[in-house]
Amino acid sequence: MTDMTDMAVARDAAATSLDYDVLVVGAGIGGMESALKLGDMGYKVLLVEKEASVGGKMILLSKVFPTLDCASCISTPKMASTIHHANITPWTYAQVDKIRRTADGTFTATVTQKARHVDIDSCTGCQKCEMACTVAVPDQFNADLVGRRAAHLTFPQAVPKKAVIDRGGSSPCSFACPAGIQAHGYVSLIRSGLDEEAFRLVLDATPLVGTLGRACYAPCEGECTRGSLEGTLPIRRLKRFASDKHDASGKDNGLERPAPNGKRVAIVGSGPTGLTAAFQLAKLGYGVKVFEAAPVAGGFLTLGIPSYRLPEAVVARDIENVTGLGVEIAVNSMVSDPAALKADGFDAVLVATGTHRSQGLGVPGEDRLGVMGGTDFLRKMKLGQAIEVKGKKVVVVGGGNVAMDAARTARRLGASSVTVAYRRSRDEMPAHHVESADAEKEGVQFHLLVAPAEIVGNSAGAVAGLRCTQMRLGAPDASGRRSVEPVQGSSVTIDADLIIAAIGMMPDTSMFGGRVAVEKNGRLSSDKATCQTAVEHVFAAGDAVNGPTDITRSVGEGRKAAHQIDAWLNGREFDNWDDRLPVVDKQAVLARQKAFTLSAPTPDGTQLEPAPADFREIEAPLTEAEARRSSGRCIDCAVCSECGECVAACPVDGCIDLRSTAKTSDLKVGAVVVSTGFKLFPADLKPQYGYGKYQNVITAMQMDRLLAPTRPFNTVLRPGDGKVPDRIAYVLCTGSRDKQVDNPLCSRFCCMYSIKQNQLIMGALPLADVTVHYMDIRAPGKRYDEFYEQAKAMGANYVKGRVADITEKPDGNLLLKYEDIENGGAITESEYDLVVLAVGVQPNRDAEELFGVGELALDEWHYVNEPEEDMNPGQTNIPGVYVAGAASGAKDIADSIVHAGAAAAQVAAHLERTRPALPKIEMVPA
Amino acid sequence: MPGANRDVREVVREEAVWRPRILAALAAGPMTVPEIAAAIDAPVHEVVFWVFGMRRYGWLAELKESESGGYFRYEPTGRVS
Repeated sequence: MTDMTDMAVARDAAATSLDYDVLVVGAGIGGMESALKLGDMGYKVLLVEKEASVGGKMILLSKVFPTLDCASCISTPKMASTIHHANITPWTYAQVDKIRRTADGTFTATVTQKARHVDIDSCTGCQKCEMACTVAVPDQFNADLVGRRAAHLTFPQAVPKKAVIDRGGSSPCSFACPAGIQAHGYVSLIRSGLDEEAFRLVLDATPLVGTLGRACYAPCEGECTRGSLEGTLPIRRLKRFASDKHDASGKDNGLERPAPNGKRVAIVGSGPTGLTAAFQLAKLGYGVKVFEAAPVAGGFLTLGIPSYRLPEAVVARDIENVTGLGVEIAVNSMVSDPAALKADGFDAVLVATGTHRSQGLGVPGEDRLGVMGGTDFLRKMKLGQAIEVKGKKVVVVGGGNVAMDAARTARRLGASSVTVAYRRSRDEMPAHHVESADAEKEGVQFHLLVAPAEIVGNSAGAVAGLRCTQMRLGAPDASGRRSVEPVQGSSVTIDADLIIAAIGMMPDTSMFGGRVAVEKNGRLSSDKATCQTAVEHVFAAGDAVNGPTDITRSVGEGRKAAHQIDAWLNGREFDNWDDRLPVVDKQAVLARQKAFTLSAPTPDGTQLEPAPADFREIEAPLTEAEARRSSGRCIDCAVCSECGECVAACPVDGCIDLRSTAKTSDLKVGAVVVSTGFKLFPADLKPQYGYGKYQNVITAMQMDRLLAPTRPFNTVLRPGDGKVPDRIAYVLCTGSRDKQVDNPLCSRFCCMYSIKQNQLIMGALPLADVTVHYMDIRAPGKRYDEFYEQAKAMGANYVKGRVADITEKPDGNLLLKYEDIENGGAITESEYDLVVLAVGVQPNRDAEELFGVGELALDEWHYVNEPEEDMNPGQTNIPGVYVAGAASGAKDIADSIVHAGAAAAQVAAHLERTRPALPKIEMVPA
Repeated sequence: MPGANRDVREVVREEAVWRPRILAALAAGPMTVPEIAAAIDAPVHEVVFWVFGMRRYGWLAELKESESGGYFRYEPTGRVS
């Protein structure tokens, strides 16, 4: 075969495997025009637009010059034609990550379709999600003049008219919650005054809303981004606020008993894992019965956590959320053979018996009268069983939360002294730092770096003291925690009448008698991901499997177990119930704002007594004002808060999926059109004009939005105070033809859009005076000069000369100092209500990122280079890659369309040279 | 009107926090933006963001009849949540 034949064969093979003939990057007016022309010619076009709508900048304009046609009216038919064209596949809210040229002359494009979290086929564009959304952000499509919602329609004429939910991942607070509670969501709801909805959002995850509002250790707060500013939000207390408001309202919780699905699940243990699992399964229609060995339900919530931290009434109220769904809780009901419950009609069993057994000290004298375990001590006290503490010297051994609870309980029961003996230092204590600090404030003493060696008895055989070995800290171990080693020969005895051993907790599996598999460490054996045990209908979860954790983790375990039991009972594959999106980068969140106004955190509401005498709750609730102010400090890290209001408001079931993810594809295309448009000059780079500093200095794009039918205000108003402006000034060539900002180029259309706006303002505000400060007016197009003359005839005043600077008066008016060339060049000062900066254009540097470094040639001003601009417009330095519209230099709308048409013709010629049908044509060697 | 400009994102975010106060102020009758700002003791240029955010989402509407010294007056629409 000849070389020519080889090439043709290669081209044939490549072309027949193309996904699309052409990739068009950017769906502004240029991209749409190229796509339409190519589609009309029969080529298959993939049109990728990074925004959620096609239309680019043109659709945001009020009218176009010089015809004063409504921009929306002439854009929207083209937008609709584009996305409905049989040969065009429009991917909006997508981005081209990279384009690589392959050996056969085609291209592989990596394209990511961002998650819009809305099903584009079923969304009706009704905007109910937007109306319900609780997160407000600046609306970039209204040039930041007004806010929009995280759930939003890009703009009213968006094509496709589909909502998009602005969601950057998981907010750190929500991501940190082991219970899977949307912390950001309920904070956002409380900020909006939707307290009952906040309660119900937490209730969706767990029945233990009031409990978690008081007794969880708030890992969310540890991750709050605001913590790196002036302090974290009181997220846990906000949850309590919502719970308390719900309880005080007397409203029902909004949950209805579902229709029974005919299946029954038994749950052994009524702690946070068991209750949460029961609640979730009952919501799915399962008949659920909880078996609790103790005389009261709640597990550690009721029998472990003292009521000064968690009142029994709160737990009881939370348990009503479970029983309200028809769940039966049988107390005093020990289950010794969970698997055998199948014979009683249960299709599945969950064992969630927790860790109620205290670990022994393992020292001589442990059997003396006056020694008891920490959980036993707390349990007896909670059950009202007699414990002689008053006037006694109490020593609590251990440094965890149970030790702190036991010590503080002993203080309340009248102990003459309470000492915590711990073998490491305070820094290594496993107790939450707040617990140990509060214990100290309540008079608990700490005897650190001591390890129990013997329990010393008196002549009656009762406890008299705790003899300890002095310890010292050694080197950090692999986990970073410092080891301890005994000081040889050291000994210290702490006087004691009562010793409480709180060095650890273990599951009590004795009642199972080997009928449930147990690991060597004494914990129940089950698959960590599925919760299933060796007996397929028996599941185990929570602390009984994992060892002692905390309430939020136990709740998360309950949710996971319920999810997996439901999957198993319905014959589904086990899956990962945790479908959180990746957490957002906190530094990126902070970088979204130029500055933050610091707002002092709400003071800690804990009221501690040095000698507490009762079990009254120690933490005060947030007041309404504190709750609003605190929630108002949230910076909406992930933007969307997952409050769920959009889902509730959406009339189409399943349309909104807040957990959907982006999809990335590699696609083979025959040619590429780069139509990435331009960017506007950032006006704050001319500080002498005061943009960003003076509220009544705006850009021309902002004025176009104020003049558009879909304007952000009710008419043209100045943003500083909402006043109708009487005197409006324009400053032309802001950031163009200006070497000071490294942009010597004329932006070609600023004069004309300013003249257009002059006319529109005089139509909208007939009494307004409009003055334009210019260097020279460039109106070279067809009917452009006539358009300029028309504006002058309508009364617009044109003053030749550069504006030197702008200053603001106390009333918000602006003083312009300028050179009045046509009146002798005098430096003159004039006062205006509103100043409009006619900003120039800049290249969109996104274009060069599409290809490898330096691959796509740019011109000296960083626009896409056209090596043969005069004779072959649209061609770039890469064969098969073309440029359309303002990506190659400033162009007005009409010129962009012409240029895009030329680029389409170039693409067609390229494809016809390379498409498989061509071998039929005799190819002529060059 | 001169005053420190907070980041727009921060101001816009607070719309929900200020909404009840603005609605409470307007319970006494329609007001202009500067009048609302005075009533709730907030910077007038920030109140512009909140008023027009509320207008956009149906909480407020301008009176149709006339301006007041170059300012429109705004009133609640009755939206409650």
